[in-house]
Amino acid sequence: MTNPEIERRLAQALAKTAPDDVEGVLSRCEAGKGTVIAMTTKQHSRQPWRALIAACLALVLLGGGGVFLQRAYAVASVVSLDVNPSMELRVSRSETVLSCTALNDEAREILADMDGGADLKGVKLEVAVNAVVGGLVRHGYLSSASSAILISVEDKDERRAARLEQELTDAVDALLQNVSSAAAVLGQTLPEDAELAAQARENNISTGKAALIRQVLSHNDSLRFDELAALSVEELTELAEAGAPGMPVGKKAAIREAEAYAGTLEVPSVTAEAESELDDTPAHYEVTLRHPTLGKFEYTVDAYTGKVLSGQKDILQQASDTQTEDIGLAAAKKAALRHAGVSASDAVFTQTEREYDDGRLEYELDFYTPDAEYEYTVDGLTGDVLDWESEPFRSAAAPYSDKTDVEDRDDDCDDDRDDDRDDDHDDDRDDDRDDDRDDDCDDDRDDDRDDDRDDDRDDDRDDDRDDD
Amino acid sequence: MLTLLTIPTTEQRGSAEEKRELERLLSGVAAGDRDALAQLYHRTRTAVYCLALSVLKNAHDAQDVTQDTFVRVWERAAQYRASGSPMGWLLTVCRNEARMKLRREGRQTTLEDAQWEALPADCSGLSPEDRALLQQALASLEDGERQIVLLHAVTGLKHREIAALLEAPLSTVLSRYHRALKKLRVCLKGDDAR
Repeated sequence: MTNPEIERRLAQALAKTAPDDVEGVLSRCEAGKGTVIAMTTKQHSRQPWRALIAACLALVLLGGGGVFLQRAYAVASVVSLDVNPSMELRVSRSETVLSCTALNDEAREILADMDGGADLKGVKLEVAVNAVVGGLVRHGYLSSASSAILISVEDKDERRAARLEQELTDAVDALLQNVSSAAAVLGQTLPEDAELAAQARENNISTGKAALIRQVLSHNDSLRFDELAALSVEELTELAEAGAPGMPVGKKAAIREAEAYAGTLEVPSVTAEAESELDDTPAHYEVTLRHPTLGKFEYTVDAYTGKVLSGQKDILQQASDTQTEDIGLAAAKKAALRHAGVSASDAVFTQTEREYDDGRLEYELDFYTPDAEYEYTVDGLTGDVLDWESEPFRSAAAPYSDKTDVEDRDDDCDDDRDDDRDDDHDDDRDDDRDDDRDDDCDDDRDDDRDDDRDDDRDDDRDDDRDDD
Repeated sequence: MLTLLTIPTTEQRGSAEEKRELERLLSGVAAGDRDALAQLYHRTRTAVYCLALSVLKNAHDAQDVTQDTFVRVWERAAQYRASGSPMGWLLTVCRNEARMKLRREGRQTTLEDAQWEALPADCSGLSPEDRALLQQALASLEDGERQIVLLHAVTGLKHREIAALLEAPLSTVLSRYHRALKKLRVCLKGDDAR
């Protein structure tokens, strides 16, 4: 039996045992709900005794319902979320949100479509945090790889604080992963601290962010609390890691310096964004300027002096001076096809773009063949392939649906090839830690067709065990 | 305590058409459309169940978590962003539900010892071959191997996406996958010979 056959049989057998009880699901879903609602009570229609046991256990654990009711509306923990928007959620013992407050204008904007936070009242903490993080993502706060969200849990009960922090960082982590955000999730637990809370209120930030600032100040007490409060969580974290040697100029100033250097301060059509790299040597900001026709330009700006360390000066001037010897679209296509090993008659180009990136002429080419789709970036002057990606087509039958008569699932060889390339580029560190290291090189070359040979080579020990 | 988790970017792969359809259904669910939820359920229940089963190792628990997952999806569909992978999102909701169940029941540490119980109480629709495959053959695999081969066979996710979902290095996923299939082949060959 071949691998695809085994997989097909597995899929078919599992489809038969998967529950098919859509009514059971729908009966637990309230009609006409909004974005966030409290979790509905769990029903275990197949095993009613489980609910009973769970209810008895809950009563035992809580030490009686009366105590529970008394405590239901008391604040047990304060959870704050900081990116640059800062907000604070007060939470009951049962992890229900009692209030959600925006601490600065950016946060008020995020909470605007949740009635200023009022919609989150009465909602389970995890659901509320997810809604808020969803809002942050929508507003573009967590899109860059260096951005960070800080989740702080303040609670007298340290164990509960630690557990909540873990649960929330896990949940936010999962959520961000699914929106392809590479932002970092930071978690901390804090004991109750009246002085810190007062300092936080004065500066319109959360106690969590105040604690982070205090950490920065412990490295360098000549810095000012109110100035640090204006920095983002990612900047503060990096600053603390770097031992806080000075006061960074901030993203806005870094962008201004880069634009002045590029000569685009007076050009409204140029857009800019900055990322902090304060834990690098030298500490700097990476500023990206985008010009509508000249493309993208990158600058590094010294984090403490504001001096531009690298990047192209006076881009408008340079562009008019530069002579380009464009290889032309046809040659760029040819270079991509040659690299992909695809003949021109098999390829259908869906998109071809000629653009400048950092002043360099590039061709972005998208095409497909009967087997796969490809994306190429070709240097417009040299014809070199700068970047490429390919994705094999899956069979027409929907691989995710319950239709298990999927044909041609033996696309694994392509699949592996894709994975291998990614593996080579970004997973080196993982590989080093990997305990299955002896398998790596086999797997990388592996595809299902020569599976047997590989397996024989790399699995001898397993083999013996199996045969026994 | 300050912990730092860097999150790998996941990339949507797989059938673009299927992705669009799932996204359409998810946005319907986000708007409170119960029919969209029912359709989403029919399209994806096997994939969700497969992940739940591979985590919980028990058909009954996996059926419960499958239902919980779709209730969660109903509550949270509005948080799905079209830039991501709808199947990956759905499975992450499921993974979290399964983990929460383990945490609630304090089973996480003892799960390795738990028996593989893939057959639900009512498995009258299964042929003897199906039963042998789901129960005996899969029981011969290590937990990690079984999880990966099931996810690959049923969900249509690529190895890379499986690695992201399980938070495991890609190379581990690949080697476990190949080892699992090798073991299954040996196991099934034995059956055929009998």
